[in-house]
Amino acid sequence: MAPMALDTEICLLKRIAGKDRKAFEALYHQYYRRLFAYLLKLTRRADLVEEVLNDVMLAVWNGAAGFDGRSRPSTWIFGIAYHKAMKAMARRGAAATEDPEEAPEPVDYEEPESLMARRELATTLGRALDALPAEQRAVVELTYYYGLPYQEIAEILGCPVNTVKTRMFHARRRLKELLPGMGISNHAG
Amino acid sequence: MRQGWSRGERLHQRVWDLLPWYVNGTLPDSERRRVEEHLSRCSRCQEELAACRGIGEAVSRQEEAAPAPHPAQLARLMARIDEEENVLRGLRALFAATPRAVRFALAAQLAAVLLLAGALLWRPEPAPAPLFQTLSSPAPESETGPAARLRIVFAEGTTEKEIREVLLKVRGQVVGGPSPFGVYTVEVPASPDPIESVLAHLRSQKGVSLAEPVAGGR
Repeated sequence: MAPMALDTEICLLKRIAGKDRKAFEALYHQYYRRLFAYLLKLTRRADLVEEVLNDVMLAVWNGAAGFDGRSRPSTWIFGIAYHKAMKAMARRGAAATEDPEEAPEPVDYEEPESLMARRELATTLGRALDALPAEQRAVVELTYYYGLPYQEIAEILGCPVNTVKTRMFHARRRLKELLPGMGISNHAG
Repeated sequence: MRQGWSRGERLHQRVWDLLPWYVNGTLPDSERRRVEEHLSRCSRCQEELAACRGIGEAVSRQEEAAPAPHPAQLARLMARIDEEENVLRGLRALFAATPRAVRFALAAQLAAVLLLAGALLWRPEPAPAPLFQTLSSPAPESETGPAARLRIVFAEGTTEKEIREVLLKVRGQVVGGPSPFGVYTVEVPASPDPIESVLAHLRSQKGVSLAEPVAGGR
């Protein structure tokens, strides 16, 4: 799914600010799958995603007039989604576990090239990401999955750039503990 | 403490912090060059780079599990929008149909209600039992001693009550914020507890994601 041209998205948001429902539905369809996947990565709770997604789109409908065009529309919408997801998780007491007792067992990879190991890596990685606090997981996903610069991540999360780096610092340390054998040694910086 | 580090160590730490964004190729040219130059002579950073690449590749390989939107979900969303719009339209119609004098009276009443509600909500609760004895010993009514300014960011989802409790324990007063980034500027008495121990206490709190002294604030 190719992201819409920037101009098109800005134009849609302007029309939405004027309460144009056709434009809103177009944006909804354009963003649905991106938001679904993103919210699933942030919350790791499939049962929360649909509800939060509607909260996000409702906030877009109500807030489009306040979109000032200083950031990209996707940055603005992902920022709303981040905050809605964190709120929903706090409401449901669904914050990621920080209890080391519940952390997954580290697994050693002898043959990372084999398909089997790759599949296992995916599930072990999944459990390792589960073990991170949601704020740290968001930074990891926005950096490596979405390939965003740290300045834009700070904008999405609504926090200072240094907080982004600090969260990543802690996430890296934790992931190294949980995912040894990836050419990774364990002494900290 | 980062202040105690030599220039070389500070550079190392800065590069170390930037490695994930070197891996994803989004660093500005000047930073990228600085990272590459340091990498060429730092084996620890080279090792860490390999680790970041490993994690980065694994994370980017994850499958994106997203279904197509279901028409019923969009219908539910549009119904919520209708509901909100109806309430708004109803309020607007009511307002338009109200004579000017009555509008004025209503506005005055609304202001009074808001004021009252505000007064009720802002009534401070009794301070919780002190956990941090030296910091929570009763504050004098007028704080005339020297004060230090801190920048505090609370974790997402921290409630107003939790924020208040954290601030009460360090006898902090919000003097600015929250900024658009959620930064509060808080003034705390600079004695009897050294500001470092106040900071350490704040950083140990679950709801606090950042606590830093304001530069030049002491």
